[in-house]
Amino acid sequence: MKKRVSLLLLGTVTASLLAACGSSETTNTSGGTSNTTEPVGEAKQKVVAWAWDRAFNGGALDIAKELYAKDHPGFELEIVDMAKVDLEQKLNTNLASGVKGGLPDILLVNDPNIQKYVASYPGTFAEFTNKVDFSKFSPFKVDALTVDNKVYGVPFDIGVTGMFYRSDYIEQAGFKAADLENITWDRFIEIGKVVKEKTGKYMITMNPNDESLTSILLQSAGSWYITPDNKGNFVDNPAMTETLRVYKAIADAGIAKPVTGWSEYVGSFNSGDVATVVSGVWQVTGIMEAKDQSGKWKVAPIPKLNIDGAVNASNEGGSSWFVLEGSANKEAAMDFLATTIGGSSEFYERFLKEKGGVGSYIPAFSSEAYSQTSDFFGGQAIYTDFTKWSKEVPGISLGMYTQEAKDSLKNELPNILNGADLAKSLANIQKLFEQQVQ
Amino acid sequence: MNSKLTRSNLMGWQFVLLPSIIIVLFSFYPMIQSLFLSFQSGRGNVYHYSGMDNYVRLFGDPMFRQAVWNTLLYLVVQVPLMLFLGLIIAYFLNIPKLKFKGFYRTAIFLPCVTSLVSYAVLFKSIFAVDGVLNGMLLSIGLIHEPVVWLMDPVWARVVIVVAITWRWTGYNMIFYLSAMQNIDSSVYEAASIDGASKMRQFFSITVPMLRPIILFTAIISTNGTLQLFDEVVNLTNGGPGNSTMTISQYIYNLSFVYTPNFGYAATVSYAIVVMVAVLAFLQLKVGGEKK
Amino acid sequence: MKKFGTGAIHFFLITVSIVSLFPFAWMLIGMTNSSAEVIKGKFSFGAEFSNNVAKLLEMTNLGTAFWNSTLIAVVGTIATLILSSMAGFGFEIYRTRGKDRLFGVLMLSMMMPFAAIMIPLFRMFSKMGLLDTPAAAILPSITTAFMIFFFMQNTKSFPRELLQAGRVDGLNEWSLFARVYMPTMKPTYAAAAIITFMNYWNNFLWPLIALQSQDKKTLPLVVSSLSSSYSPDYGVIMVAIVVTTLPTLLIFFLLQKQFVQGMLGSVK
Repeated sequence: MKKRVSLLLLGTVTASLLAACGSSETTNTSGGTSNTTEPVGEAKQKVVAWAWDRAFNGGALDIAKELYAKDHPGFELEIVDMAKVDLEQKLNTNLASGVKGGLPDILLVNDPNIQKYVASYPGTFAEFTNKVDFSKFSPFKVDALTVDNKVYGVPFDIGVTGMFYRSDYIEQAGFKAADLENITWDRFIEIGKVVKEKTGKYMITMNPNDESLTSILLQSAGSWYITPDNKGNFVDNPAMTETLRVYKAIADAGIAKPVTGWSEYVGSFNSGDVATVVSGVWQVTGIMEAKDQSGKWKVAPIPKLNIDGAVNASNEGGSSWFVLEGSANKEAAMDFLATTIGGSSEFYERFLKEKGGVGSYIPAFSSEAYSQTSDFFGGQAIYTDFTKWSKEVPGISLGMYTQEAKDSLKNELPNILNGADLAKSLANIQKLFEQQVQ
Repeated sequence: MNSKLTRSNLMGWQFVLLPSIIIVLFSFYPMIQSLFLSFQSGRGNVYHYSGMDNYVRLFGDPMFRQAVWNTLLYLVVQVPLMLFLGLIIAYFLNIPKLKFKGFYRTAIFLPCVTSLVSYAVLFKSIFAVDGVLNGMLLSIGLIHEPVVWLMDPVWARVVIVVAITWRWTGYNMIFYLSAMQNIDSSVYEAASIDGASKMRQFFSITVPMLRPIILFTAIISTNGTLQLFDEVVNLTNGGPGNSTMTISQYIYNLSFVYTPNFGYAATVSYAIVVMVAVLAFLQLKVGGEKK
Repeated sequence: MKKFGTGAIHFFLITVSIVSLFPFAWMLIGMTNSSAEVIKGKFSFGAEFSNNVAKLLEMTNLGTAFWNSTLIAVVGTIATLILSSMAGFGFEIYRTRGKDRLFGVLMLSMMMPFAAIMIPLFRMFSKMGLLDTPAAAILPSITTAFMIFFFMQNTKSFPRELLQAGRVDGLNEWSLFARVYMPTMKPTYAAAAIITFMNYWNNFLWPLIALQSQDKKTLPLVVSSLSSSYSPDYGVIMVAIVVTTLPTLLIFFLLQKQFVQGMLGSVK
């Protein structure tokens, strides 16, 4: 009797364990993990990839797979999609615990994270230096992937920036398209005040919790939050001083609509509350969501900072594909990426047509897909313009501590906006940053 | 008699052994590993022994200080607010002749069945600048300009306090309600005859009789608040500035957002353990007395 | 005067109820609206419901995620109830100083933020070969100090004469537990089941780390990945949230009566 009851109890506990062991075996054979024992080079192998937007970058892999499968029948790819932060967290947990079993073969990395990962987990990521002809990509994108003269990964989408604007609002305020071409930020603010006065619409959105605007401004002057040798770049950096001056000027001018998150940001221009959106090229899809605004939008180069070396072009976001050095399907994964995303004009044409994604692969720029005009943007050949600007984007090193630096800045930003002495604030930020990265 | 006691003692160990081993395995073993980690420094998977360096760094770390300050602020404002609200609601729901009790009880308890992920999305969209709350407040004329809830340091904290209170008040209320139903109604009747007002009865009968359960919920809530994480990450991501960042979020940032330094993250975690332990001890001292 | 008091109480409780239920109303309404309408704060039913459902089914593997969540929550809840009640029974009925001390130590396990033990835990599960299995999602919280405490509290009001009577009938301790204690404590089990089920069902951080492949994902992971895409569709997300919330609501309504009874015991 006694035995039976305790057996029952133990049984329930162990049953779940056993069931689990059973299913763990099936995962291994199905290739959910990369430590499969199947021999490399055989026709049947499944490459696993992690991505964070099933429709966009996951969709890009679908295209690449289709192209690759033409010459490689039997090539199999499993795409696991999760939120971007979730992906980063899983990756860190796996790498930090030295567990390779749970990692994929291919993974998508946000460009500012590249140096951090390569430096924190040496020997973990496969080197693509001689596998891809990097001279065919925009230099700023290759710079982001290069650590100690080695290139880790295949460049994927870019976020070359533009100033999207509502031509109807701008006209209503008495300006012409030419008035917005290659202006400075100070001019932008002047125009913004007129727009606000004449149309009642805000000129731009602002979210102090999000560093995208300051990042765009810094890169347009070839600068960044940290120096290439990972020191804080807040003190004695004219680009930083000018960036924060402009940022505060925009806030003070009352021309910015406050938004607190992504959905509100997209909502603000989809519902016609703002006259301009300064953002990466991938925002085209977001802007086109509002079908009733077709023909009212245009895009101009972003305004520039009033300092030496600043240009009317920058970059926001973008990501690259990495392959894990220890992955069982490393060769297959690298070959797959190198021949498609790393060297196929057809891939980039389809990526643009089907997903609205822009890469940095220069040979594709002259294709028909990139020169098409868009009725939504009043007949403008927007991608021709964007690719033209992408060649002007200053190359910078994103370094290891971008996030720490951004958070240090974020800490002081409210004081700066309240009119604190900028030099003193910058010194505070620099100090805080140094404390964070010891 | 004595042998019977020993026998019963042994029998008891049979029941507690397996569950205890599981807790040791899945909680204490990783905790000890974390302790070792807190004496190491480095990034990613490159580490070296660094002695007390992490602990020294902790005391001079302004971000940590900010996070502790924020977390304590939530603790001091939110926990008493929520517990008091829960008590009042339970007290009303315990009035014998009150109508619609079942409905109220269910409605007020429901928030705690929602998942964190879901409720963060819901609250974020409700408190958006163009969100449904601002829309309503504008339409009834209570405000004339939309309130930028999540970007103002004060309002952002208010929203977080409201969110946690929304989710957990009903949960605590159920504990109180159950306890109140155990109080003999004759105690109240006697008090009423003596002319004690309802308010008086609440403070001099209900609250003292509920002391153990109030203590219990206070310790559980303190523990929960000191580990506060999801709400803040999902609603404000610590902003504006770092004015809403909590200690748990700082640990998370150190491990997964910044260049990973798991050693220092473990050190910060032990700061939470110490704080929880000290506060639990104080609460037991202040609220326990009996037993 | 007395009338006024009752009126005020009703007013207060109705206000609190409205605040409590408002987000539920918001998600039900949001589910029928387009993404743009949700963002604009439209608070009335729309016509996008079937559209949103279709998109959700197309974008995610909802059925699989639902099944995974169910499996983890059900097996996890059953195992947790058995193990925690065993411990609660043992600690309270056969109370000794040694066991009290042990329990005091076990309570310490509640004080550590989960993020801090995640990496050692992950390493452990990898060594055990359990990553990416439902067992990985279930095991770490299969007994918690909180649940043991909950059962201990309830056991205080358990009529011990029943045990004595059982012993006279020749039942041994394990049968006493299974045949006398468990049936008598039904309401406690119901209350514990609701709390445990909710925890398993809504757990996010650990399943995210421990489950690797697409076909092992649970519902909260699906909601999270939906809401962080470059162009999140809030109408679709609202449907996903409703699907995620419904089962916990259902369980609560089914066990509500026993739940309240069970909570009653926990505070004696």
